[in-house]
Amino acid sequence: MFRRNNVTARIFERQMSNPAPGTSVHRARRFYENIVPSHTIYDIECPDLLFRKFTDDGQYLVTFSRNHQDLIVYRPTWLSFSCKVKDCYADGLPNKANKFESFFTQLYSVTLASTGEFICKDFFLYIEGKQFGIFATSTAQIHDAPAVGGAIQGVPSIEKITFHLLRLEDGVILDERVFCNDYVHLAHSMGGVFLYDDLLAIVSLRYQRIHILQIRDSGNLVDVRAIGKYCHEDDELFLNSSVQVSSNHIENGSQHIEHIPETPFLSGLKQRLLSFIFRGIWNEEDDPNLRMQCLKKKFYFHFQDYVDLIIWKVQFLDRHHLLIKFGSVDGGMARNADNHPAFFAVYNMETAEIISFYQNTAEELYSLFELFCDHFHSSSKNSSLYMNFISSHSNNIHALEQLRSNKNKATSFPQFVKKMLVNLPFNCQSQSPSPYFDQSLFRYDEKLISATDRHRQSAEHPIKFSSRRQHNILKFKIKPGPEAGTSDCRNKKICSFLFHPVLPLAISIQQTLFFQPAVVNIHFRR
Amino acid sequence: MMSNSMMTMTLGGGGGGGGRGGVGGGRSWPSTTSVSASGKRIQKEMSELSIDPPPDCSASPKGDSLYHWVATIFGPPGTPYEGGIFFLDIAFPIDYPFKPPKVLFKTRIYHCNVDSAGNVSLDILKDGWSPALTISKVLLALRSIFTNPAPSPADKPLVPGIAHLYLADRVKHDELAAEWTLRFAR
Repeated sequence: MFRRNNVTARIFERQMSNPAPGTSVHRARRFYENIVPSHTIYDIECPDLLFRKFTDDGQYLVTFSRNHQDLIVYRPTWLSFSCKVKDCYADGLPNKANKFESFFTQLYSVTLASTGEFICKDFFLYIEGKQFGIFATSTAQIHDAPAVGGAIQGVPSIEKITFHLLRLEDGVILDERVFCNDYVHLAHSMGGVFLYDDLLAIVSLRYQRIHILQIRDSGNLVDVRAIGKYCHEDDELFLNSSVQVSSNHIENGSQHIEHIPETPFLSGLKQRLLSFIFRGIWNEEDDPNLRMQCLKKKFYFHFQDYVDLIIWKVQFLDRHHLLIKFGSVDGGMARNADNHPAFFAVYNMETAEIISFYQNTAEELYSLFELFCDHFHSSSKNSSLYMNFISSHSNNIHALEQLRSNKNKATSFPQFVKKMLVNLPFNCQSQSPSPYFDQSLFRYDEKLISATDRHRQSAEHPIKFSSRRQHNILKFKIKPGPEAGTSDCRNKKICSFLFHPVLPLAISIQQTLFFQPAVVNIHFRR
Repeated sequence: MMSNSMMTMTLGGGGGGGGRGGVGGGRSWPSTTSVSASGKRIQKEMSELSIDPPPDCSASPKGDSLYHWVATIFGPPGTPYEGGIFFLDIAFPIDYPFKPPKVLFKTRIYHCNVDSAGNVSLDILKDGWSPALTISKVLLALRSIFTNPAPSPADKPLVPGIAHLYLADRVKHDELAAEWTLRFAR
């Protein structure tokens, strides 16, 4: 059936007919095809800020001061103006449209960094229901830190890392948690921190613990448990109390227990991991002779390698299950860890059990990833509705086709599996829910722009968004950088995009690698 | 040195392995020969072990070093250690089998004969060692301490506290040991 797709026709249609059951949201979202951020204000007059992101409910724009000391929060507003003449747009937009402040109202500015600390500009997590934000500040890294007090060799140290819990409404600091002489990957792409509902997982790389914290409604950060050396929250207490009972007979008090330097025992998590692997191989083979051969090759020969594995990354799968990525120390510090062997484990932190264990070449895990990608993506069970529309190959036929075509093009399937599994565990809150990234509505070049929050090399040409349904009609273009382009082609230009989750509003920031001021453009529907 | 070569001779005759290179002449052996002698012996024990492993036990070299082994023992059914998997480090000395291997628990265990550093007191790993013993025998002996701890003062248990509790209140001891197994050995 032929359909007209202009706004009027769509409104009529909406009045006259009900959409198929369960599709009303999908139909409403089609209006985004008509309402697009097609107008660009180039090089807007703008305070010198480090832009982080819009919160996923669209309430706040989070930015940091250039010196990495202050958090400055804006409320997105819409450009509003009045004019006397009949045809408002005849002379174009008024002058004040060139001002950042016409689109955003500053709510407050708070200093987060104390002496010697800097705000980690890539780190921000948002707790939507409570409108809380989590920020991180840290002191400088020490690269050749000695591995003392149970720290592992080869991981740098940061004297002080502070996580701040803020009420974004007014910028009041509710609570903070300090990690001393530790190392946590704070860059978004490194997966050192993950938020699920009100649970926060923080990976201490240096001490190999996964700290689970709960964010209470009252605005407190509460320790739930630390997984690593021990599995249950009271294991250490239990151990100390029962050792004390038994050692009372020889010497009084438990003083000497604390001074045992390095424990010879496997950490709690490693014990679970090794016994899981061992049981798996043991049960695979019934014949004792063959079983022994299998164990020798698959378990004992690699025993030390398994013992040496460290926790790299973690994500929640639900409130009880963690997906943990393990690898070597070298790979844990490398930004590009593709070539390092890695393993994935699903761990139930309530029962302290390993549920499954895969190498990063496992086709079984890949097929789970291909079929049930959204199960890995869950960051909460009660986030807002439009968070369900972030396109993935599990919920979007176009994304799936793209994946299949990449799979068919791949010269070696094992390599392809490895490459795809690099995405796991997923990074927390790294995808924009903007409808303009919904692949059932728009088509765009994913090499130039995507829902994933990261910096990209800036292209010379505008980025095109075309309609997915209407025979690829161009809907709008987005061009970062100055209107006329730049004559200087020598310097690499890096750009990033911030899309509002609901409104036809986006900010593009283009930077050259040298310390020139950024060119900030605002894209909106005029 | 002389007694060593004597023992190798008897052992070589009995077991079919042994270091034949060193028997003639009575000169001191080049160290490589003695390494390969113990290596051969360990290799032989390895193949014996894989043909006829003791129940619920297994052991094998870790990595490619013949002298560093890992052993795994399932907590025997009917004991408070049931359901646990215990990993142990076994280090063979270079002059094995004349010296006993060193055994260390890598899994925490609530046991009067294993101290808080993982050391295990077992007579055959000390004064009771004989070159006629093998790794299979050691595994069997290790497994037997799960079923029959040696708590009496005469046995000089490493953790007197646990030994005392074992003798005074067996039920309480078993409860604690089971709790340890659940927490640290699963």
